[in-house]
Amino acid sequence: MSVVTVQLGQCGNQIGFEVFDALYTDSHCPQGLCSKRENEAYQASCKERFFSEEENGVPIARAILVDMEPKVTSQTLSKAAQSGRWKYGQHSCFCQKQGSGNNWAYGYSVDGPRHEESIMNLIQKEVEKCDSLSGFFIIMSMAGGTGSGLGAFVTQNLQDQYSNSLKMNHIIWPYRTGEVIVQNYNSILTLSHLYRSSDALLVHENDALHKICAKLMNIKQISFSDINQVLAHQLGSVFQPTYSVEGSCHYRRNPLGDLMENLVPHPEFKMLGIRNIPQMSENSLAYSTFTWAGLLKYLRQMLISNSKMEEGKDWHCSATLSLFPTATRATMNTEVQRSTLLAKVVIRRNRFNHSDCLGGFKDQALYTSWLKPINAFNVWKTQRAFRKYEKSAALVSNSQFLLKPLDTIVGKAWNMFASK
Amino acid sequence: MGRRRRRGGRGHAVGALPEAIAALSQTLPAGPSPEIFRRAKFDRPEAAPALWRLLFRVLSPPAAAGTRASPALGAQVRLVKSALCSQGYPRRVLARLPEDGSQGSRELLLALAWLLARGPLLEHLLAQTRVWLGDEIPLWQYEALASPGPPAPCQEADGPVDIRHLQWLMGTLRFRWRDLITSQQELCALLGKLLQRLESENTRLEAALQWRRRELVFWQWMDTVLGSCPLQTSPATFLPRDPASGPGELELVARELRGLHGELQGAVEPRRAAWEAKAGGWGPEWSAAQQATQEAVGRDLAALQRAWEQGGAPAQPHRPCRLVKRDARAVEGPGLRAAELTGALRIRESRLETALGQLQTRCRQELARLAGAEPGLIWILPPGR
Repeated sequence: MSVVTVQLGQCGNQIGFEVFDALYTDSHCPQGLCSKRENEAYQASCKERFFSEEENGVPIARAILVDMEPKVTSQTLSKAAQSGRWKYGQHSCFCQKQGSGNNWAYGYSVDGPRHEESIMNLIQKEVEKCDSLSGFFIIMSMAGGTGSGLGAFVTQNLQDQYSNSLKMNHIIWPYRTGEVIVQNYNSILTLSHLYRSSDALLVHENDALHKICAKLMNIKQISFSDINQVLAHQLGSVFQPTYSVEGSCHYRRNPLGDLMENLVPHPEFKMLGIRNIPQMSENSLAYSTFTWAGLLKYLRQMLISNSKMEEGKDWHCSATLSLFPTATRATMNTEVQRSTLLAKVVIRRNRFNHSDCLGGFKDQALYTSWLKPINAFNVWKTQRAFRKYEKSAALVSNSQFLLKPLDTIVGKAWNMFASK
Repeated sequence: MGRRRRRGGRGHAVGALPEAIAALSQTLPAGPSPEIFRRAKFDRPEAAPALWRLLFRVLSPPAAAGTRASPALGAQVRLVKSALCSQGYPRRVLARLPEDGSQGSRELLLALAWLLARGPLLEHLLAQTRVWLGDEIPLWQYEALASPGPPAPCQEADGPVDIRHLQWLMGTLRFRWRDLITSQQELCALLGKLLQRLESENTRLEAALQWRRRELVFWQWMDTVLGSCPLQTSPATFLPRDPASGPGELELVARELRGLHGELQGAVEPRRAAWEAKAGGWGPEWSAAQQATQEAVGRDLAALQRAWEQGGAPAQPHRPCRLVKRDARAVEGPGLRAAELTGALRIRESRLETALGQLQTRCRQELARLAGAEPGLIWILPPGR
């Protein structure tokens, strides 16, 4: 089943390019560490989901590019076409001359209705090219004007027009000390609208990604392109094909559906986060070896301590955190118990033998009281390695990790509003 | 030019010939138009490439002809020539045709007729390109039938049920519902595609039937084509070499082979004797051990065979069978019933599992004994699955 990606705004388009590039390089990576037949099945599955075929053999990404100014979209289109390996469709781009000026209301109430027909037509054409549609993946940022305002509008329209298809919004949480003054307003408005019309919100925080680039990848001058590449790597490790049932050798057909069914069935808890391990620059990859026990221990540690990267700390002391219940508060309809999880899916790539290593994830203390680990915890595996990482694992979790950042944003927005 | 046909006496047959050729070309994959056939009779050069392509498509293996882009005309020509030669095509003129595929349409027409006359070519081609409906399964793939789905998470309703849990379950249900709808839509789209392919296959099959009815006219016409060819000098069977010089060379080759055989024998014998001397140093114990293991293996195999046969498996040919839904009360026709088969297979599965368990324990015991016997030995286990 195919996924149609909608890239909105400057952020969305840049990230979208990196994501497709990561998916393509992975599926054509020569070091798959599995049999040829397996590799071909993997490639075919990845291609069916994200690319469509043209006569001369160059795969075309199933994506729409939308932006209110032409600079970024034209850059993205040309970068993809230049690589020669894959490209965007010729008529999949919609852009205007004038931007949204970081104004959410402008994006939502003015640009949205004005360009509704053209954008939905583009989406319709892309949907018709799919044999079967799994859902939409909408990439946007919360701080800007186009991504946030227009993104909220487009998601709402998709809800109306394709009510049976799934929608996952990928949101970029802005830097705490971000440049856009009204980013807090934009974020709150976006989130509240998306909560109603989207099925799942996959959140990536700029601060966390920046830290990963600085500490784990040892990049000195961190540009957005580096951050986007880390992000794309994480998304790729979640969306690439995995086996469908325990022990079977067929790949899952409906990645979005399965992910959502396991993680966001409850209508009030829709925010998801991703953690990925190992994360390092490709240069140091050649000199590192991993064991599953070690990797999964770090992953669990990252989960418990609510961090997005392996910090190399002694993980014993943090294990006690989850046992301290704090006072209950109600914020945005979430129940509070510190770092409690609702559900998670672990996706493991390559040659996993011992299920004992996963025992740490099945601890009831990690989860809320009304959900048992057997329902809340799922493992997806595949034999094929992801992008030269002989072993890698990703963790998608529905938890309270965004509670604090959300409180901060709400607080700042109120302060700004009250000070008028 | 060819002889003029007498049109007077065969008025009705004249109209039948174009229809017969049209039916033939519709049945053949990549069939050229009847006009090409007519031109080929008069050996017109413009008809040649189309006939080369047709023969290539007919003679090449189905996988090569279907998926990849077709090779250049020169390569097609070479392949057609070698395929016809290997099938024993008698006319040597065809092998001498130029490789750019520009001449020899009459020869190609004769070759096509030869292939048609030899065997069930059309049926073979139709079977190659038939539409697979997906209602067949091989008999030995019983995993899909016998294995239950993933276990449903069961919750005992002890105490008050948390409403959040209910909301969670409702949400899961809703997602599955939407998944079902999407699958239904996909099913409809695929059924549409399948119907289109079935329609085109139907037209081809109807054309094949038409051809069968009007074949005779075609063969009468082919006689005239053959007649219009210039006479060949020696219509001998097609051999790559002049048979007159054959016997001498063959004798040479045979002698060389015999000499080689003798040399090998001479080299092998001393080596075998040396090996046996080394191995035979263990003497009578070795042969006794060998015999004992052979007997043990024989017993195990016999036991396995008995267990297999006791499963009462019906004689199953290992080929794909069609799944047919039948009324439960219907009279038993030919073929197996799914319920019986699953029952039999489950019994067999359980027997095999017990046998496997027994064998594994025996292996483990043996390994433990061997490991205990030699203290200095290190066992390196292969990486488990």
